[in-house]
Amino acid sequence: MSASEDHEVPGTSSSERILVVTPYAPWRDGIGAYALQQVRRLRRAGHHVEVLSTKPSAAHHHGDLRGRAGARLLTRLGRRFDRVILHFHPDVVYRLPPTGGSRIDTALAYGAAFRALPHVELRLHEIDHSWAHEPRTAWATKWMLAGAGLITVHSDEQRDQLVDGFGVPADRVELFDHGVDFEPRTTADRAQARASLGLPADEHVFLCIGFVQPHKGFDRAARAFTGLGAAGARLDIVGSVRVTEQQARDHAAELRAIAAREPGIHLHLGFVSDEMFDRWIVASDTVVLPYRHIWSSSVAERAALFGRPVIATDVGGLGHQVEQMASSVLVADNAGLARAMAAAVGRAGAAVAVEPWPAGGGRARVQEEIEARATAARGGAASGRTWSTAAGERPALSAPIRRIGAISAPAPVSARPGVSLVKRLIRRTIYWEIEPISDQVNRLQRATADALDQAEAAAAPTTPPSPEDP
Amino acid sequence: VPARRIALVPPRYGPEVVGGAEAVIREVAHGLADRGWSVDVLTTTARDHFTWADAEPAGPSVDRTAGGAEVHVTRFPVVKDTPGEERARVDALVQAGDMPTLAEQEAWMNDGPRWPELFHHVLDTAEDYRAIVVSPYMFWTTFAIGGIAPERTLLRPCLHDEPHARFELYEPLLTGSAGVWLQTEPELELYRRVSTPPPQTRIVGEGVPVPDGYDPERIRRELGLGDTPFVVYGGRREGAKGWEGLLHGFAEAVRKEDLDLHLVTYGVGPVDPPADVADRVHDLGFVDDRTRDDVIAAATAYVQPSALESFSRTIMEAWLAGTLVVANGASDVVRWHIDRAGAGLTYADPAELEQALRFVAEAPDQAAALAAPGRRYVLDNYTWPVTLDRMEATLDEWFPA
Repeated sequence: MSASEDHEVPGTSSSERILVVTPYAPWRDGIGAYALQQVRRLRRAGHHVEVLSTKPSAAHHHGDLRGRAGARLLTRLGRRFDRVILHFHPDVVYRLPPTGGSRIDTALAYGAAFRALPHVELRLHEIDHSWAHEPRTAWATKWMLAGAGLITVHSDEQRDQLVDGFGVPADRVELFDHGVDFEPRTTADRAQARASLGLPADEHVFLCIGFVQPHKGFDRAARAFTGLGAAGARLDIVGSVRVTEQQARDHAAELRAIAAREPGIHLHLGFVSDEMFDRWIVASDTVVLPYRHIWSSSVAERAALFGRPVIATDVGGLGHQVEQMASSVLVADNAGLARAMAAAVGRAGAAVAVEPWPAGGGRARVQEEIEARATAARGGAASGRTWSTAAGERPALSAPIRRIGAISAPAPVSARPGVSLVKRLIRRTIYWEIEPISDQVNRLQRATADALDQAEAAAAPTTPPSPEDP
Repeated sequence: VPARRIALVPPRYGPEVVGGAEAVIREVAHGLADRGWSVDVLTTTARDHFTWADAEPAGPSVDRTAGGAEVHVTRFPVVKDTPGEERARVDALVQAGDMPTLAEQEAWMNDGPRWPELFHHVLDTAEDYRAIVVSPYMFWTTFAIGGIAPERTLLRPCLHDEPHARFELYEPLLTGSAGVWLQTEPELELYRRVSTPPPQTRIVGEGVPVPDGYDPERIRRELGLGDTPFVVYGGRREGAKGWEGLLHGFAEAVRKEDLDLHLVTYGVGPVDPPADVADRVHDLGFVDDRTRDDVIAAATAYVQPSALESFSRTIMEAWLAGTLVVANGASDVVRWHIDRAGAGLTYADPAELEQALRFVAEAPDQAAALAAPGRRYVLDNYTWPVTLDRMEATLDEWFPA
């Protein structure tokens, strides 16, 4: 059974008062973008819809929804509505990192809120299924979920996990069509889209698009693409990097390093508007989703919207999503990904693209290669190695500084009852002073390390010109 | 979608609103309505962009053009429920030369006045319009509304060369709007420096109404200035527009050069003249168009101290009146206009401003002669009929019925 936003709650009139609880525009947020389209659809169906968001936004209401206070806010507001649709994500309702105690506390508060309200629908975007197997807290999570009138999920797999893992009655879990609210954001056709993006008209364009994060696996696609540049194909990796996350920055640097050495790979890092997002998809021949893990993919739905075939890894609910899309291919691993991409350009049975390790030279050579690859993945920055190598290579001047790592305020959590609250109060009182200082310390640390690397590179002797040089 | 229905979304709207971008949107609304378009203006209840107080009643009203056409205006109330601390913190970062992160930029954008009802009205009705014009780029209304239906969003950014224009936050708006109306070539060059203009980007310019005539003597009589020369500045008196710099330069010039010169100003914002020159600074407050034109015509020079101009409507008004323009050369756009028009003077620092003011006070006839080519320049390039022709052409080309 598939859920529809327009379904009526038994005993209500056809025009309902609905509260949608979600991150919301104009914040850039995947769930928020999805919810915006849902709100539009519900309002057009004649419902009175208001939005409650976690931060100030275009929503009618906003407030911190984490923990017991968040559940109280939801109850207070939700009572004015016939139906509450809560876009559930752990970051929205749990204080992070969640201790067992706080998880129980939050789950009980939300379970009570769900039961106090006329009808609550949880649109589940993500939940940690390992929680179902933690005896100390699983009962609370199960009790919370059981309080919802309806839980909607993206895939059969997720439905099974809810029913089997959390004991949610099967008749309260429905699938919803992930793409039901999607509308095209561009009017360009393929030729116009390619011309506007500076892409050649005649090459096969593989596209990886979305936030550039390690779990998206764009590096897998880049490695699988090896050699296809010579076959008239190109791989465009398009998306923005969350610059505040060191891991994402390192991943972007790794992609840059791969793109620099592999012909046909083009990196377009930067903010991508909704219109440009769609224009890229229209311009492409094949959309590649090489994810390492994901619940479901909006990119897959947008590819389907424009009739572009997808090559995707079979992870999370992606398999369920993609197997229904015409001309699309599911792969199990890197080798399958390489084969599928090669087949898309008429090169069936291409070799698995594994970067070879040095065969000769022994441990030192392999060690060197490991460090070279790590340096590439680090974006060229020197490593934190503080010792000299066997080959006599001295550590980078910046190494001791890089080993220090970033500083952040400790999480205000404790296993002792009541202490978390006290810590949170203290944090709230002083955080506005502490945060700028820790930010500045981190910036200083990075800037000092970068400056030392640059100074060291500038001081290094340059290679003398070869006698053959003019 | 009705064949010729369009929505305009300025942050403020009405005859009593001070602001070049807002004034132009009103003239576009009137011009298109007179040409048979069904024009809806979706805006806020605010008149003042300092307080964003609800000054106009919320709900629908009609703004009638001189030709009798109707512009349908709907105003929405403001929500101000955030402390503004995050916005102030990010502004301080920017002042210090730092670039805030995207998350900080998003918090900055949303930690101020917001209009959820306006947002949801557009969410409900976007498809009723061939195009939704949002302007200028920096305001919450433009940013939030511009993201609802980018495929029918027409951005009129009024870009300034300022750190905010380089915020990553604005990339969806700047790169993803279906069409962009620009005013000048320098604005396009700036656009290319800070972002990537979408394929459907065109310089349409803007129009400046041409007064039927001027009565400078009336103003001189009312101000009691006789034949004493004066310079004029009109608009928003605030730091971003260079008001303090002009006031300081004027005071220095008067003190040091012992000039027989006065400064007349109209518009909004505090004047705060130094005590020793206060009797030479005359604030007319908000004035109607007729008075504005007569004041400019009576002045020996119009001073444009702002480095952040995307068009500079007031220098066009000065040139139409035959008045010399003395402008801060830090504005690429104003310098470009002055070079193309062959009219006006620029200054690069307070010393040059002092000398320019001295020239104005000591050689008013020469000043008038320098201004002369300006009027032809405006008439050739920036009248409403020509501008509206360009705007309509893009609407038909980019958003076919």
